[in-house]
Amino acid sequence: MNLRNFHLYLPAACLCLLLFSGANTFHSGPMQLQFTHVVNGKPMALQTGIYTNAVGDSFNITMFKYYVSNFSLTSSNGQEVSLPPAYFLVNESDTASKTITLPPIPEGIYSSISFLIGVDSIRNMSGAQTGALDPVNGMFWTWNSGYIMAKLEGLSPVSKQPNKLIEFHIGGFQGTRNTLRRVTLTFAKPFALPQAEPVVMPIVADAYTWFGQPNTVSFQHVSSCTTPGAQAMRIADNYQHMFSIKRD
Amino acid sequence: MKAVYFITFFCLLLLLAASEANNRKAAAIAVPEPYHLELPPGLPAPVYDLSQNPLTKQGIALGRHLFYDPRLSRDSSISCGFCHQQFAAFGHFDHALAHGVEGRIGTRSVPTLFNLIWQKNFMWDGGVNNLEIQPLTPLTDENEMGMDLGVLVKRLQADAGYRKMFKAAYGTEEVNSQRLFRAITQFLATMISFQSKYDSVMRKAPGVAFTPEEQEGYVIFKQKCAACHKEPFFTDYSYRNNGLPYLPNLNDVGRMRITSSTGDYLKFKVPTLRNILKSSPYMHDGRFFDIYQVFNQYAHGIKPNASPTIDPLVKNGIPLSDKEQRELYMFLNTLTDPGFIANSSFSEILIQ
Repeated sequence: MNLRNFHLYLPAACLCLLLFSGANTFHSGPMQLQFTHVVNGKPMALQTGIYTNAVGDSFNITMFKYYVSNFSLTSSNGQEVSLPPAYFLVNESDTASKTITLPPIPEGIYSSISFLIGVDSIRNMSGAQTGALDPVNGMFWTWNSGYIMAKLEGLSPVSKQPNKLIEFHIGGFQGTRNTLRRVTLTFAKPFALPQAEPVVMPIVADAYTWFGQPNTVSFQHVSSCTTPGAQAMRIADNYQHMFSIKRD
Repeated sequence: MKAVYFITFFCLLLLLAASEANNRKAAAIAVPEPYHLELPPGLPAPVYDLSQNPLTKQGIALGRHLFYDPRLSRDSSISCGFCHQQFAAFGHFDHALAHGVEGRIGTRSVPTLFNLIWQKNFMWDGGVNNLEIQPLTPLTDENEMGMDLGVLVKRLQADAGYRKMFKAAYGTEEVNSQRLFRAITQFLATMISFQSKYDSVMRKAPGVAFTPEEQEGYVIFKQKCAACHKEPFFTDYSYRNNGLPYLPNLNDVGRMRITSSTGDYLKFKVPTLRNILKSSPYMHDGRFFDIYQVFNQYAHGIKPNASPTIDPLVKNGIPLSDKEQRELYMFLNTLTDPGFIANSSFSEILIQ
């Protein structure tokens, strides 16, 4: 291009900019998290998989879902970048829900990602929500307002519940009953964003942790937890360790 | 070169004109008309954030339609308005406990509905933390409307009339639970009751004054009731154990169910006394059908050591002579807001 004549193209360039300004979303290389669910390292199979918890109780899983939200990335120089608000309900029985696309991430070199398991307290008190937070998803308590941060249901022969149910609806967002837990996962090595192709981060969530450490759960004694309180706090303390980055 | 500029300028003009025309077209289709909610002077700012759900005529109309539509219940038998009757200040006249689908009966009485935008928590135990999601509880409770929220959204989406009303209120035909709850909230937000005789006296409206008995009753109220039933809402929105004997059949532990704290055993929300003589029966379980039974409960029915959480203010009873009770009754009568109860913009509408 002859630069002397650049001003000739300027108006056309402006017009182009104007025409395309409607589509100014972040196109190059979004980051995705791809969740895989396992139980003590074995792939999770709803209904059919038979697992054993830390105390040796056998159980299966019929429902496994949880919220992740409030994402941030830490750059290799230690600076934390909070992403715009985003809420996802990851559900084992819904394949599409297990790959999530994060909000646009500013350019940088990043070494770790951090997120909340659950829905922050503000959204627990802000009234009617849509999308992943729509109460139609069955993750909102009607009698005691607030989101169920994570849900695991199944059966165990040692359960004393009707039909041998095990039922863990973990929630509570206030004071001493706050089940929100922040997870930080460090990447194998830092990488630069944006990239031409979407960056897909494979993340494993191990349901075994729910009943493992530090608060070992025996289904003979505790087969249900469906209210905010001390038991929910103990399970949340356990499941905050459920995530890891899958390494090949 | 000039030609290039000219053409560009012309193109820009065209673009502008096109987008302008688009806007106008959209306006012609559906722009909900803003509704100005007149708030009585001298009150604190509402707790409910009206800016997140700006009131519109169409939104309020949709909310009113939803409120009176029995199709919101599982078997299309019970609307919100079934239990919340306007002539009872939106309580349930003559019914101790809430009714529901298939003749089911709940464990608590139906609360009145007005001045809700100033209220922080809802239900007798304060378990619901935002006005918008309050309807979720009766809607899904198996002893009330017994409805599945997802089924309801689909039911309304399938109805041409509702699609039209949702479009009028929100610009598109989409039905979702947020739109549903916000429309009901818009209708509820307009239910404001501050036009009682008491309000006129407080405002020093010309020609309005308490009778001597009402005035005596007001003095007694301020001495013996106002600590919990605080003006101007006639409740301090706190949760208290007022000494009512526990009923094993209902086994209602009150706010303890919400907080898991034994300190909240048998505590229930202090109800407003506005429109109280229109909204019997009384107490969280509707056990008293007459206000004099309530007076007598406080005057003679309190057992100070019945429960460790009994409120210190009522622990030793509240002495009320027959004369004082009559005067108190006369004062409470001034808290009735006839304009609210007869307001035609809240009244039941025919659902086709």
